Amino acid sequence: MAKVFRTDSVEKIRREKAGWQEDCYSKQKELDKEFKTLSGIPVEALYTPEDVAPMDYLRDLGFPGLEPFIRGVYPTMYRGRTWTQRQLAGFGPPEETNKRYKFLLEQGATGINGVFDYPTLRGYDSTDPFARADAGRGGVAIDTIDDMRILFDGIPIDQVSTSLVTCQPICNISVQSMYFGNAQNRSIPINALAGTSQNDFLLETVVTIAPGVLPPEYSFKLSCDAIEFCTRHAPRWNPVSYAGYNYRESGCTAVQEVAFVMANAIACTEELLRRGLPLESFAARLSFFLSAHSDFFEEIAKYRAARRLWSKIMKNRFGAKNPRDLMFRFHVQTAGVSLTAQQPLNNVSRAAYQALSAVLGGAQSVHVDSYDEALCTPTELSSLTALRTQQILQLETHVTHTIDPLGGSYFVESLTNQLEARIEAMIEEIDRLGGLVKAVKQGWIHQEIANTAYEYQKAVEAGGMPIVGVNCYRLENEELPFEIFRNPETLAVQEKKLERIKKERSAQKVEKVLGDLGRACDQGDNLMELLVDGVKSYVTEGEISGVLKQHYGVWNPPLF
Amino acid sequence: MAKNKRVVMARLGMDAHWRGSIIVARALRDAGMEVIYLGNQLPEGIVQSAIQEDADVVGLSSLSGNHMILAPEVVKLLRARGAGDITVVLGGTVPPDEIAPLKEAGIAEVFGPGTPLEKIVAFIEGINHKVSE
Repeated sequence: MAKVFRTDSVEKIRREKAGWQEDCYSKQKELDKEFKTLSGIPVEALYTPEDVAPMDYLRDLGFPGLEPFIRGVYPTMYRGRTWTQRQLAGFGPPEETNKRYKFLLEQGATGINGVFDYPTLRGYDSTDPFARADAGRGGVAIDTIDDMRILFDGIPIDQVSTSLVTCQPICNISVQSMYFGNAQNRSIPINALAGTSQNDFLLETVVTIAPGVLPPEYSFKLSCDAIEFCTRHAPRWNPVSYAGYNYRESGCTAVQEVAFVMANAIACTEELLRRGLPLESFAARLSFFLSAHSDFFEEIAKYRAARRLWSKIMKNRFGAKNPRDLMFRFHVQTAGVSLTAQQPLNNVSRAAYQALSAVLGGAQSVHVDSYDEALCTPTELSSLTALRTQQILQLETHVTHTIDPLGGSYFVESLTNQLEARIEAMIEEIDRLGGLVKAVKQGWIHQEIANTAYEYQKAVEAGGMPIVGVNCYRLENEELPFEIFRNPETLAVQEKKLERIKKERSAQKVEKVLGDLGRACDQGDNLMELLVDGVKSYVTEGEISGVLKQHYGVWNPPLF
Repeated sequence: MAKNKRVVMARLGMDAHWRGSIIVARALRDAGMEVIYLGNQLPEGIVQSAIQEDADVVGLSSLSGNHMILAPEVVKLLRARGAGDITVVLGGTVPPDEIAPLKEAGIAEVFGPGTPLEKIVAFIEGINHKVSE
């Protein structure tokens, strides 16, 4: 026990504060207005020990690198090693994105963060009728393992860690297999590869849905297949990154964001245990991806609350004993949804404050959005400015000098406690619905997010949420202060490659891979075991997805 | 009495972002319109549904950048099927210099990021050529 505040002191502070409120504060008239966080948690004018009175330092806070990890997952945090500066990049054909990766690495980025285009993320080839207008948009187009070769050509993937933003499991099962298969073709063993794949079934079935979605239970199965495969063969790879960021972008509150990633990780953990994997073989590799939205203190409290709650869940629910299995490690992206198309250079400031909250909250890696993202894919200049924002934060502000600098703040600790309680309550609600996969199938998650998104928009429009340049401080006759990124020609490039590959590859080999895949689907086997080798036949992503949809069926998500 | 407006809404092609289109769909519904939400569709599918549903308005959404290819195609197909009186509007991330060519192609209005719901609802309510038939 190490209670921080004596009961009699707290009582005295409570009385004095009441007096202050009566005599001083309420004389200022500001303030019948209700103050709330972005997620709707009421905020007081002033916090004192009273608000965190029961705090037991050793039980509730402790030390970095030790339970409950609220002060940080590593003992030295940024003094030992700065966060990874992982700027998202991907557009057009792989030939173009390869150049951007090399540019960012030359400029000091410390990891690759590769995003794929809409068709690739949804399991379509560039040439599919549904895909043609979107080839190369929002990310890089990948159709076969040959595209993966081109994408990482000349990049030392045995030394640089790579994040594959594969989003949907239907994409991940092919694209991660291509990444691994390509490494093997380069004589790099997959157990030497470091990186992360996103692989989140909630993206496929709720958040970034597309035509022909796999039913939730199968999307979830594919996600677990990749985790199981990596656990067995690629132990340095984080096989899943629960994408709370994307949940938040589609409308979640901070509470829903963290509750849903945790419910997702709980569901996967249960499934992997059911498959016979020991907890300590995979638990430390489950990683998380959160948003840094505009409510500065709420975001910091969110990261801290997530760390403490996750360590409790792993310990109490699953009996985890290894400290590494209790750690909530996460990547952060600044909130794309907060960017404005109006006066877009203002977005540099927005993203900088948001990145600061991520770093004060102890993130393991950060992506800062570019100022032009409400208008187009980032240009070289806007990506560079975003990277420099990180470097300024790291090198000039001194925020890295001490660990968890806001720990002990009455306000931040109180908000952390409140967020943790609300997140825990929502996880319990999902438990009552039968777990996350069932909650998705019933449309409960869809409704939760859509309701929040609608309420948020109405609040913005009611004037309760000022957005500079949009509903206040507008400029009339605004002129765009920079060039818009124009997507390089993609479809023709991909079409040509696909045509050549289909002519040159062995039709017999491809047929065998697809036949084996269909049988594996029917028998409930782990598909990645088959595909890492299978993709070397130059089978296309679309061909693989076709087999999956044929055997698993498709689902219409209950969105509206 | 004027009948309630019927609005067919769709996300173009592969575009994944549903937040904007769902929020607009709800706002239109709350304003008393009938909304048929299609999800992701290609122009052909959108036009078929619009005609079948006897829509007054087609609301397209895209944040992926595919709008310059797919949105004008919707207008073209509607006109080719004798349904050119159905108004087509578009919402999403549209760079400012693409608005004029879209309007030339027959898109009645383009709602960029940050457009108030009120404005979208008012615009659609204000369309009257078909309802008055």
